[in-house]
Amino acid sequence: MSLIECRQLTRTYRRGDQEITPLRDLDLDIEAGTFLALMGPSGSGKTTLLNLLAGIDRPTSGSLVVDGREIHHLSRGALAAWRASAVGYIFQLYNLVPVLTAYENVELPLLLHRISRKERHRRVAAALDLVGIADRSDHLPRQLSGGQEQRVAIARAIVTDPTLILADEPTGDLDRESAVSIMDLMARLNRDLGRTIVMVTHDPKTTEWCDSVLHLEKGRLAEAEGEATTPMASESNLESEDVR
Amino acid sequence: MSRILSTFPTVWRQIVRAPLRSGLTVAGIAMAIFLFTSVEAMRSGVHEATSASAEDATLIVYRENRFCPFSSKLPQYYGDRIERVEGVSSVVPMQILVSNCRASLDVVTFRGIPADDVERTLSDAAQIVDGDMDTWQKRGDAALVGESMAVRRGVKVGDRFSAAGITVYIAGIVASDRLQDRNVAYVKLPFIQEAMYRGGTGGIVTQFIVTVDDPTSLDTVAASIDAEFARDEHPTSTWPEKAFTGRAARDVLELVNFASWVGWGSLAMVLALIGNAIVLAMRDRIRDHAVLQTLGFTGGLLAWMVLMEGAILGLLGGAVGAIASVALMMVGRFNLTMEGVNIEVAHDPRLAFVGAGIALGLGLLAGVVPALRAARAEISEGLRAV
Repeated sequence: MSLIECRQLTRTYRRGDQEITPLRDLDLDIEAGTFLALMGPSGSGKTTLLNLLAGIDRPTSGSLVVDGREIHHLSRGALAAWRASAVGYIFQLYNLVPVLTAYENVELPLLLHRISRKERHRRVAAALDLVGIADRSDHLPRQLSGGQEQRVAIARAIVTDPTLILADEPTGDLDRESAVSIMDLMARLNRDLGRTIVMVTHDPKTTEWCDSVLHLEKGRLAEAEGEATTPMASESNLESEDVR
Repeated sequence: MSRILSTFPTVWRQIVRAPLRSGLTVAGIAMAIFLFTSVEAMRSGVHEATSASAEDATLIVYRENRFCPFSSKLPQYYGDRIERVEGVSSVVPMQILVSNCRASLDVVTFRGIPADDVERTLSDAAQIVDGDMDTWQKRGDAALVGESMAVRRGVKVGDRFSAAGITVYIAGIVASDRLQDRNVAYVKLPFIQEAMYRGGTGGIVTQFIVTVDDPTSLDTVAASIDAEFARDEHPTSTWPEKAFTGRAARDVLELVNFASWVGWGSLAMVLALIGNAIVLAMRDRIRDHAVLQTLGFTGGLLAWMVLMEGAILGLLGGAVGAIASVALMMVGRFNLTMEGVNIEVAHDPRLAFVGAGIALGLGLLAGVVPALRAARAEISEGLRAV
């Protein structure tokens, strides 16, 4: 059974009188333990798909099942609780809380879990250690380099031991050296710890670390590379192939 | 609940790590609550001085159409005639000498009373907390000084101090539940008469303090006393004590009533200050809130965090302002005196709790709208915010 199952997933927005559909009738299965890259031009629906997978946006129609839970049916509160336990999210611009230290930023998701302070400390220290930033734990974000900030953000994403890690262009704001280091780290999380990672990227070089790559175009799946994902042979997918 | 409490350190850090914004907000709240608490202290003092209660059994007999201790002169022998009026329990003649006849915050008021009447003049609850009554009885120039007056003037037992042209020896300090006792110096009647009317006369007093048998008959007895002297050379005007204070302090009452508007205005200022601080903070944190929601924080939890921030700012500023105000009142023991009547500015520590509590409530109130907005914000829109 796939970790993620999307069926006829559609997201439509209204902007003034205009109706925009960044994602249309998407069928997609993602196996557990995959490191998947989502690629495509701007406006192709990559971030929309990522936000739907993260439960921070809701599909207009279709179904989305993650680890057996139909998250498209969850209430706002239940969705928040699900995010807290099942999802780790890595942003392009790190999005650390600026007045909190690296340690405190990583600790944030754990405040939602009923665990002792001692256990919280142990998990934060372990996460910071894993991403190689333990010696900067008392630094504020403004005292860190971009690469270090992104490491803290990764530690924050993994500290709750989530089922799914989602990354929105995690190397998009980094220099080459830092980007390689971050991709190494994510590959290690996938390979050594078995985390399922879905990453949006514009940079083809970062896909070298991934098991498979999906291309989106105009809200539809354009092609798939690799074996861990199963684009469903839906009419919409065939249409997108034609478009290409 | 445990989740709300677990976010407290985060809220606290958001406050203390924006020291300029938080410091200015807390300082503004502190000043406004200082003002509010000070006005409340004044209002409380006026209330205590002028609000009649069912137990009040004291009348003040003054010279008709006179409003100042210097101009109210009544023959001392009137005391015997007053005592014969039906319903009167006791009469104490009193000569009042003030260092300043105008309204002022630091007037020294001497009350001259017959040595034998000191016990019944003082409140039943009055106590000599330092010094002794024997010394007061034995020395002609001895004074029993009210506790608030002693603190205000910085005098103690054994000191001599001069005011209003006379010099007294402090024989004792009096603590009392009655504010007039706390703010005057009791001396012997002949001593003050001699000091005031050198080469002139004894036998003249400013007023009589009359106690009635039945508190419900205050007005009847007052009317009987005035009727007794209506055709005399020195007609009288008799008032229940609290009403007498209210009459003397009429101008101050109007001033305090006006000041109460200033007090309410300062509360509105607290609301605006906290509201403004939170709205500005929320504007800066739109993206942070979206990130927190992405991590799994619910809208409700974010709302609580916003409310907590408002409450903490309000409580901090309120506590600083209210404690500073009450401390100032306790150290200063301010006392408004008009025409020889005292209105003490309250120095009750409970006022600090009231001031801080109100600021806390206003902090919560100011946070309601920003909290609701934070709770309802869409994550995807917040993440797009710059």
